[in-house]
Amino acid sequence: MTVARVAALLLALIVLPFVATPYALHVAIVVLFNVTYTAALYAVLRMGYLSLGHAGFIALGAYTCVILSVRLGVSPWLGIPAGGLVAGLFAWGLGALTLRLRGIYFALAIFAFGEIVTAFFRAFDWFGGPAGIPGVPRPAFLGTPLASHFAFYWPVLVVAVLGIAILYRLQYTRFGAALLTLKTAESERLAESVGIPAARYKTANFVVSCVITGTMGTLHAQYLLFVNPQVFGSTMSTDLLIYAMVGGLAGFWGPILGAGLLTALGEQLFSVGYWKTLVYAAILMVVIMVLPGGLADLPRRLRAHFGAPR
Amino acid sequence: MTPLLLAQGLAIGLVNGALYILTALGLTLIYGILHIVNFAHGEIYMLGAMAVYVFFVVLQWPLGAALAAIVLLAALLGLAIERGVFRNLRGQWMQLLVASVGISLIIQSLSWIAFGAQEKNVPSVLPGVVALAGVRVPIERLAAAGVALVLVAALYWVVYRTRTGLAMRAIEEDEETARMLGVNADRVAAVAVALGFILAGLGGAFVAPIYSLNPGMGLEAILMSFIIIIIGGLGSITGTVLAGLAIGVLQSIGALALGAEAAHVLVFAAMIAVLILRPQGLLGRG
Repeated sequence: MTVARVAALLLALIVLPFVATPYALHVAIVVLFNVTYTAALYAVLRMGYLSLGHAGFIALGAYTCVILSVRLGVSPWLGIPAGGLVAGLFAWGLGALTLRLRGIYFALAIFAFGEIVTAFFRAFDWFGGPAGIPGVPRPAFLGTPLASHFAFYWPVLVVAVLGIAILYRLQYTRFGAALLTLKTAESERLAESVGIPAARYKTANFVVSCVITGTMGTLHAQYLLFVNPQVFGSTMSTDLLIYAMVGGLAGFWGPILGAGLLTALGEQLFSVGYWKTLVYAAILMVVIMVLPGGLADLPRRLRAHFGAPR
Repeated sequence: MTPLLLAQGLAIGLVNGALYILTALGLTLIYGILHIVNFAHGEIYMLGAMAVYVFFVVLQWPLGAALAAIVLLAALLGLAIERGVFRNLRGQWMQLLVASVGISLIIQSLSWIAFGAQEKNVPSVLPGVVALAGVRVPIERLAAAGVALVLVAALYWVVYRTRTGLAMRAIEEDEETARMLGVNADRVAAVAVALGFILAGLGGAFVAPIYSLNPGMGLEAILMSFIIIIIGGLGSITGTVLAGLAIGVLQSIGALALGAEAAHVLVFAAMIAVLILRPQGLLGRG
């Protein structure tokens, strides 16, 4: 994307709350959540690792913030970085242990991790048990809580733009380029032989992804006004993966496009979860089978097919 | 914890483990050939259980006819999915894995729409309890576990005593060489997926009278199966059998001592420990 396009998009996002209906603004907020999670997930997918339990880090951020504010009376503002920090610490420990596993082993380990996180919160009443914790406070600005969609939109937008900007910038550093060399065990050995500290890079990248995911998770819980073990369970993890795959894994903007389109579609058309899941999964299968590059690859494919000769 | 309670936990654990093995074995079989972990496997298990409800309870077919129909339908579904999806994506592990997640979500959401959220119950086929020295096991579970072990023996026979089994092991060993020697890898993969689906469908069918059924029950089954094949070693049949029994026992004794949710966390912890200390699993080859 060119600088002009990014600027136009940002401008539109700033003008949006002044013109949108509360419902449209609700959709926009949910889109910002999912777009940020998916961009963070893509950072991990990009180095060849399938994080099948990324929602576990949303849950860690969300629960940290909720426990701090509901159980311990800490300011919801402080809960936001605290949630990111806790998600990052877990990612650091888990990444150090599991990122040396490859392919399916890592995917299953993270899948199990996501399940452990929700099983843990479900097991203890102090963490809300199966019903979760209601009455989550929102942060206040100049003494008034950010109760309306209009007010809450702004912190969500700030975290989304900052998170995505960090992820985008990282991708084009030497660090981000080195990560691409870690996709297979052979190329990783090659990278290490020229002095790239592969294990440290992989863990660092995983931690960045999860800090951003967890930070956004805190706002997500504040927006919903509750947390429970189901919202950030395996369905959320697979949804994020579907967004990324449908958008296309070839570039930075594909997953963001997929998350934006599918979230907006899901919020608009379906009230019952099963239909939404069915439509998402059907779109996923069509994309995997006939459009391997994802939606982001569609313009190029169309050009190639109907082709203006170049 | 008294010795009697421990023995009771051990007995129930072994019986449950035998039932877990049925679903897990299909997964390990498919992994050995296609090198994917089939996320849709839990849904086949769920469909097997639901099919018992539909054929046996609603349509009042004899039990044998219901089971035969399940075997046939599971095999056909396996062949269709292998041909339509897996074969086109071979060699791309990430796409394969995500595609199996997609298939799982499609089957699951269709089932929610078709069957609704109302729990289904299948009446007991063999009521009663066996008691031995104070340890009590429902006859139904014991019978299901017994049939499961017979099926495991049958799978061993297929894999180690038939030409198709030989071809499977050849592909697992070295696919390129096996292909060069004339092994039809596509056909073997189709057979493996069909066999795996039959085992999963029967695994679901056998638990139908034991649990309340709903379209979400596949998730629990697939989770246990993943844990079992990781601990046993992806692709290892014997490893899967041993790990299945061990996890069944760990879970039932853990539940008696610490409660069901905590037993869950315990089982996951065992899997993470294996992944860290011995990623190839107890009996897997690197």
